[in-house]
Amino acid sequence: MSDITLVLQAIGRRESQAAEQLLPLVYEELRRLAAARMAQEAAGHTLQPTALVHEAWLQLVADGDRTWQNRAHFFGAAADAMRRILIDKARRKARLKHGGGQARLDISELDLAGASPDDHVLLIEEALQRLETEDPAQARIVVLKFFGGLTNKEVAENLGLGERTVGRDWASAKAWMFRWIRSKN
Amino acid sequence: MNATKPLLDAVFATALDLPDPGQRKLFLDQICAGQPDLRTEVEALLRTQDEADRFFVTGSSALVLGAEDLAAAAFPAPGVTPPRVDERIGTRIGRYHLLQRLGEGGCGVVYQAEQAEPVRRQVALKVIKRGMDTQSVIARFEAERQALARMDHPNIARVLDAGATDTGRPYFVMELVPGTPVNEYCDEHRLDLRARLQLFVPICHAIQHAHQKGVIHRDIKPSNVMVTVQDGVPVPKVIDFGIAKATEGRLTDNPAFTVSEPFIGTPAYMSPEQAERSGLDIDTRSDVYSLGVLLYELLTGRTPFDGRQMAAAGVERMRQTLRELDPPPPSARVNSLRGGDLTRIAGSRQTEPDALAGALRGDLDCIVMKALAKDRADRYQTVNGLALDVQRYLESEPVAARPPSQFYRFQKLVRRNRLVFGATAAVAAALVIGLGTATRLYFQERAARQEEARLRAAAEASELRETALRRQAEAREQMNQAAILITQQRYAEADKLLDAMQTPPPSVEGASTFRLVGNLLAIQGRWPDAAERFAGLLKIDTLDDWNDVTLDHQLYATELVESGELDRYRRFCREVVANFVLSTNGRADWRILKAGLLLPADPPLITSLTPLATVAEKDFTAMSRRAGVNDPWGAIPMALWKYRRGDFAGAAELCTLCLTNKNEYPVQIQTDRMILAMADWQLGRRTEAEAELAAGREVIEAKFKNPLGLGNANQGFWWDWVFARILMREAIALAESPPPPEGSSPPPVPPREPEPQPTDTGSSTIAS
Repeated sequence: MSDITLVLQAIGRRESQAAEQLLPLVYEELRRLAAARMAQEAAGHTLQPTALVHEAWLQLVADGDRTWQNRAHFFGAAADAMRRILIDKARRKARLKHGGGQARLDISELDLAGASPDDHVLLIEEALQRLETEDPAQARIVVLKFFGGLTNKEVAENLGLGERTVGRDWASAKAWMFRWIRSKN
Repeated sequence: MNATKPLLDAVFATALDLPDPGQRKLFLDQICAGQPDLRTEVEALLRTQDEADRFFVTGSSALVLGAEDLAAAAFPAPGVTPPRVDERIGTRIGRYHLLQRLGEGGCGVVYQAEQAEPVRRQVALKVIKRGMDTQSVIARFEAERQALARMDHPNIARVLDAGATDTGRPYFVMELVPGTPVNEYCDEHRLDLRARLQLFVPICHAIQHAHQKGVIHRDIKPSNVMVTVQDGVPVPKVIDFGIAKATEGRLTDNPAFTVSEPFIGTPAYMSPEQAERSGLDIDTRSDVYSLGVLLYELLTGRTPFDGRQMAAAGVERMRQTLRELDPPPPSARVNSLRGGDLTRIAGSRQTEPDALAGALRGDLDCIVMKALAKDRADRYQTVNGLALDVQRYLESEPVAARPPSQFYRFQKLVRRNRLVFGATAAVAAALVIGLGTATRLYFQERAARQEEARLRAAAEASELRETALRRQAEAREQMNQAAILITQQRYAEADKLLDAMQTPPPSVEGASTFRLVGNLLAIQGRWPDAAERFAGLLKIDTLDDWNDVTLDHQLYATELVESGELDRYRRFCREVVANFVLSTNGRADWRILKAGLLLPADPPLITSLTPLATVAEKDFTAMSRRAGVNDPWGAIPMALWKYRRGDFAGAAELCTLCLTNKNEYPVQIQTDRMILAMADWQLGRRTEAEAELAAGREVIEAKFKNPLGLGNANQGFWWDWVFARILMREAIALAESPPPPEGSSPPPVPPREPEPQPTDTGSSTIAS
């Protein structure tokens, strides 16, 4: 049984601290899995982070307890892990491209039209942090959808919302975040 | 940003749900009245919405790259060659032993495999290509498994199992169907058009069966319809049920979707709504479309749009093509082919080029194009409808897709039946109304938030589920079939069809079908049946205007009385009066009065009818004054009202006045006579009463000696005559009873009330 399964079971038993242990474990597993997948498959394809998250769930918890509670925790943590991994990655690349040195990307220096995909991610991250203070519930939906790659239905189940609510909030959040990004550029 | 975010979100999301610009503007006009800031912000959000979507799409493409970098960093030397798929032969996947590779399609490799446990059998095993989230594929399949298990049809190859390979790819196990794709089979065996159509019908039946079990195929195309020969007879088998649903979804969920990705269905066979960005809104009519494409191809050798061109043009162009471009009808398509191709295609159908186009022109063109309608409301509403039309063509009967001209309008009405959009609009309207409430709570953010949550819950609750949609589509199709039967004057069959319908969808067109059949039954004197039709009609007719609706009520009351269903009639009277008590439409109230006063009324009914009668009388007085003579149609309910309340002198006076009016129609005269006869009798004027009764009775009974017919305004409609006859029966019974004691006030009428004043609305009367 994997560590993750143990932690998920601990969460199921409502042991405090367990939830905090989940994130680094998921983080490491995702890295390992990504590497394994790249080795296994032919070149020239794309590797969907979403697929990784789902596959991590499938493989890591295959023999364990798959109650929904645990599944929700897992995907929540996986989305957070993905966010951390991918943002770190994008920051590093952006720093190289923009001359390095800065800990954070100053979005006011970015030309939106000429922004690279990585810049897009970083701008979205900035806007997401802003949204987290304005409307944490909506921000959570963005994390699960954008970084976790969950479907509306999965997000709805994860957060105990209606599917339609998720769709509407996702649309609102995107529009709001984009407008915020634009107002800074 | 000035508006509070929850309110802004609520208004924005609701506006987004209203794709119609007019509706959206109306909504914003109302919701943002007096709040220009709110409106500015919402409109800014709406304007940038597409751009915002694109921005997130680009962002997510970076995530893909990021994940690859991540993998590369963690495993810097990925030089390992991937295993070749063919090397799997001889190995096992789950409990299946792979025997040979059968083929490779867009979304995976298919193997012939052997299952050892629990039964030894050969199966087809399809391993989905990479790129899918195995877990969600399997989860979606599991969700559909129950429905798939319920399917049992000779033309359906069953899907038996699903699972994940060791390398984490999803696979499906199906009944092994040795055979050829249907289009290849038809060409190889040079089947003529007729044989092709005969092969097409069972395909439709298979799909219809699946729909009835709650399964939509979503990926109908020749390679998913295999023809296998059993006892020398070609049997089509539809394969891959449930797989499209399990493997789709990335089209809408994955913003980084491109058309080169394998899991998007097959462009050439895809319905417009399946290709749309919001491709979640798929129902059984998407399969009708794909079957239309299949039929098109079986007939012409070509698909309506070229699949390869569409895929190459990119997803936006593909959507546009499917949305906007009308493909040529099959006959025109055949004519546009180049000589060599045309000769070959005609030859494989055992015909000449000119003859082929000629055979397709007309009915077959119409059938195919109806199945391919852009708007699914214009398609056959069920696969069964399509199959029936093909069968009608084969039997040289008129097809529904090409209605006989005199009924064209009626047919069109039936086809225009768009409950689904009606329902969507209702949800939108509920939101608009609900949000009006939210606005009043503008300064109470918390309360507004709660209200929003309530609205969302309501909107979700009213979201139409797939099953509900299918049932409605089936109901519409039955309605359509009933209408066709009526055009062919097969009324008994139409009646049977309507009788079997549990919950007909509310619609004007459906109502008109019920009304027509109900009327036809009524003139045949089949009163209980007619009453059932009208009961159904009143249930579904929420859309017609007062004129039709009140007449329907009157007819239903008449039919109940004629059926001898007096308890139902009295219950109906109470309900109707309650429904119309606030009506201010005098002529509508005439009808309700006539319905309620067909038989002697008890005091509570008289009391509750009083407000209606007050309005009706005002209207009657006004009309009579304008015309300079008593309005004959209005006089009948007025005279009856006076009579039922015990104002015999008033009733007699009004009827006598009417009978001097030379312009009255026969049926009006007889009705007046019956009321007058009864009033005279109550007043002790026996001789006069008997004379009126005899004169009227002769005409009425003569009228009913011949078949009634629907009638017309001059001769009187059937219901006018039946109305007169019901009063006649009452008058006869009265004449045969002992005369009332001289000077006594007759039972069973309530104590007389003062005549309502013209200004009296009657509300005080009902309150007392």
